[in-house]
Amino acid sequence: MQRSTTRQQYGDEAMTDALADGDSPDLDSCVRIGSIVSSNSHLDYVAEVYKERDCDRPPELHEREFGQPVFIKKTVNGTEHAVMGVIYDTQLVDPDQGRTGPRLAQDDQAQFTPGYIEERTTLAGVALLGTAEIAEDGAIQEPTHQMPRWTLEVEDTVFHCPDQVTVSFHTVDDQIQLAYMDRLLDIAGDLGSEVIVALIDRLRGMLPEDDPNQRVLDVVEQNVQWQAREQRGMV
Amino acid sequence: MADRSDVVGTVAGPGDDPNEFVFVTPSDKSIKTGEFITYTVPVEDEPRSVFARVTNRELIRGLPEGFLADPEVGPETVAATLGVPTDDTELYRLTATVIGYYDTNMTTFANPRQLPDPGTPLSIAPHQQLETVLPNLGCETDSTDVTTLDGVAHIGWLLNRPAEATNLHIPIEEFASTHLAILASTGSGKSYTASVLIEEMMRPSSRASLLVFDPHGEYDTLAEMQGEEAFQGADGYEPSIEYYDPERLRVRISELEIGDVMAILDNPSNRMQERLSTAWRAMQRQESRTWGIDELIAEMERIYGDDDASVGALEWRLRRSIERNDLFHPEDNVPLGEIVDPGQCTVLQMDTLDRWDQQLITTVLLRRMYRERLDDVRDRDSDIEHPIFALFEEGHRFAPASGDAPSLGIMRTITSEGRKFGFGLGIISQRPSKIDQDVLSQCGTQISMQIQNPTDQDAIKNSVEAAGEDVLRELPGLTPGQAVVSGDAMNTPALIQVRRRHTEHGAGSRPVIEEWREAYEERQREPTGSEAADFGEGDSTGVQSLD
Repeated sequence: MQRSTTRQQYGDEAMTDALADGDSPDLDSCVRIGSIVSSNSHLDYVAEVYKERDCDRPPELHEREFGQPVFIKKTVNGTEHAVMGVIYDTQLVDPDQGRTGPRLAQDDQAQFTPGYIEERTTLAGVALLGTAEIAEDGAIQEPTHQMPRWTLEVEDTVFHCPDQVTVSFHTVDDQIQLAYMDRLLDIAGDLGSEVIVALIDRLRGMLPEDDPNQRVLDVVEQNVQWQAREQRGMV
Repeated sequence: MADRSDVVGTVAGPGDDPNEFVFVTPSDKSIKTGEFITYTVPVEDEPRSVFARVTNRELIRGLPEGFLADPEVGPETVAATLGVPTDDTELYRLTATVIGYYDTNMTTFANPRQLPDPGTPLSIAPHQQLETVLPNLGCETDSTDVTTLDGVAHIGWLLNRPAEATNLHIPIEEFASTHLAILASTGSGKSYTASVLIEEMMRPSSRASLLVFDPHGEYDTLAEMQGEEAFQGADGYEPSIEYYDPERLRVRISELEIGDVMAILDNPSNRMQERLSTAWRAMQRQESRTWGIDELIAEMERIYGDDDASVGALEWRLRRSIERNDLFHPEDNVPLGEIVDPGQCTVLQMDTLDRWDQQLITTVLLRRMYRERLDDVRDRDSDIEHPIFALFEEGHRFAPASGDAPSLGIMRTITSEGRKFGFGLGIISQRPSKIDQDVLSQCGTQISMQIQNPTDQDAIKNSVEAAGEDVLRELPGLTPGQAVVSGDAMNTPALIQVRRRHTEHGAGSRPVIEEWREAYEERQREPTGSEAADFGEGDSTGVQSLD
C-alpha cells in the first residue's frame, strides 16, 4: 500500500456523506469507514479512515479492524451494485514524523503544533473481493466472487459491511463460497492468510453452530494456515 | 489410427527406460494400468500400429490433499467453496512400455526401436486386434477373427476390458507341447483354470488326449461335458471322460526300477541294497514281465543261499512294503490304451492313496507312456500313437524341489525332451518354490494367479523367463479368477479374467459353518446315549469314548 499524498479532497468528505442519502435504508445506514484516496492496482485500493472532523459518526476502532468486510456502492447501467472488499492492511501516516525544525512548544503551552496535527491519519488497504446487486429492499442479491470489472473512484465512500450482508455475499446456492481467495492471497501478500482466517472467523461466528458449512470452513482455514506456515518456514 | 474421437491421450515424451514413454490423459479418459494402447508409426514406409502397455499412472494435477482434511467434508465441497472448478481438473501422467508392432512375417511383435514423438495421439487398442496379436496364434494379419481358428483355447478375457470384450484364445498346441505351469496360491482358482483348459482341449476342434493326475479328487465334475451341446461335434464326436479310482490303479511290480523299490523300502542296509539290486536286475533280464515278490525272493535265495540274513530281512521288508500294498501287482497294470485316447480325458483319482503310492504310480505311468511315445516317434510299435498331455494337480508332489520323489527323474526328462515326442506336461501348484526348478523352468507357458508368498514369487521370477517385472508386480494384487498368462503361448504377457466353466466346479472350499451346524443338529437328534460331561473329577472317560 502506498502512502497517500492526495490531500486536497480532504474537506469534502461531509459532502460525500450527504450525497449518499436516499439509498436503500439497510446499506445506507451502514457506518462509513473512510474514502478511497488511491489505488495500487485494479483490485487494491487505499482508503483514508474518517476521523471526527470528517463525518458525523466516524468508525470505531473495531468497525475498521483488520479483516473487516466493506463495500463501496457503484451504479452501473442504472443498477446499483455493491463492490465488496475487505480491509487487509492498515498504515499510520504522520507527515510531521521525522520533520526537523524548531519545536514550538513552550513551558506554558505544552502542545503547539499548528496545522499539521490534524493531518495525522490512518490509511486502510482495501482489497476487492467481488460484487453484488443491491435490491430494492436494500438487501444484496446475485453475489459473485469474480473479479469486479469496474474501477472505484477517488473519494468513493467505503462502508462498513454488516454481518448479514457479509453472509449473503458469501452464500451461493446455500453453499459458503470464498472463490476470491486466490486473488486475495495475492493482493494481501504477507498478511494473506491472516485476512482469510479473519474472514472465516467472522463467517463462522455468523453461521449456526451445526451448519454443515462450518466444517468446510475449518478445512479451508486449516489449509490456508498450513500453507502460510509452510511458506514462512515454520513447518 | 482412426479419427480423433478414439484418442485417449497424447504422448508427452520419452520415459526413463529406453522402451518407455510418458503420456498425459484427462480424467474422463480412464485408462487402467495394464491397458493396451496403440499409436501409428511408419515402418518401412508403411503405417504400423504399435502396441504399448500402460505400466504406471500418476496424478499430475488435482485437488490438493489439504482439501481432504475432514473425512466428512468432501474435497469437491471445499473446492466449490473456494471457487476451484472440479470438473475435469485432474490430469494424469501415464507411463507406457512399448511392446512393438505385429510383424506379420514373423507373426510376433517387433520393436520399432523408436519411441512416439511428443504429441502423438494414442488410442485404446481395438478388441479384435488384441485378440489376434496378444496370443501366439501366428495370424497373418494383425486383425483376424480368432474364434474361427482351430486348436485355440478360450481361456478368458482381458482384465482391463469389460467382461468378454477382448477374449483371449491361446494356442493349445503351444502349451501342450512346450508344457504348462499353473501357479497360484490356494483358493485363487488353479483347478478352475485347469478345468477351463481341459474343457477347451476336449472341444470337437481339438479332441485332445488328456490325463489328469488328481490327488484330491477335484475333477469329478468334468463328466458333465458329456452330453453338453458345446462339446459335441458335427460328426458325432463327444468327449469321453474316464475316471480311474484307486481300486483300478495298479502298478505291475516288474515296471518298478530298483531306485523306486529302494525308495519305498524301510531303511535298507548297504548289504540289502546290494542283494536286492542284483536280484532285481536278474529278474528284469527275464523274458516274463509278470513276476512278483515270491519270484524275486526265490531269485535272491538262488543267488545268495537260503539262509542269508540280509535276504531274510529283505523278504520281510518287501512283503510289508510291496506285497501288502494293493497298488502293486505281479501281473495287473493300468492298460495304457484305456487311459489315453484322442477325445478322452482320463482322471486318475488318487485321493485315497498315500503320497508314496501316488508318486510311484505316477512314475511308472509316465515312464511307460514316455517309452511308448519314444517308440511311436521312432516308428516302432507303440500303444500310444498320438501326442498326449498330462496335467498334474499338486505338481510339487511329483516334482519336488527337495528331490525326494521317484517321479522327479522322469518329470525332468519329459519336460526337457517331451516336446520332441509329443508328450506335454501341465504342472499345477500352489507352491512354486517347492517345485523342482528344472521342471518349472521348462514349462513354456505360465498361468500365474494370485501369489503372496515372497519365496514363491521369487521361484516364479527365477524360473519363468517370460515373467517380467511388471508381471510379477501384479501377482499379489490379483483376486481369484484373475491370472497373468505368459510364455510361449503368448506374444506378450497379459492379465486376464478366467472365463466361467461350462461344467460345475468341484474343488471349492467346503461350507464349513453349514456343515458344522448340520453335524450339530444331527448330533442333537441322536438318542442321548452319550455320557455326562466330565469336569475333571475322578478318572476321565472322555478319552475312551473317542476311540
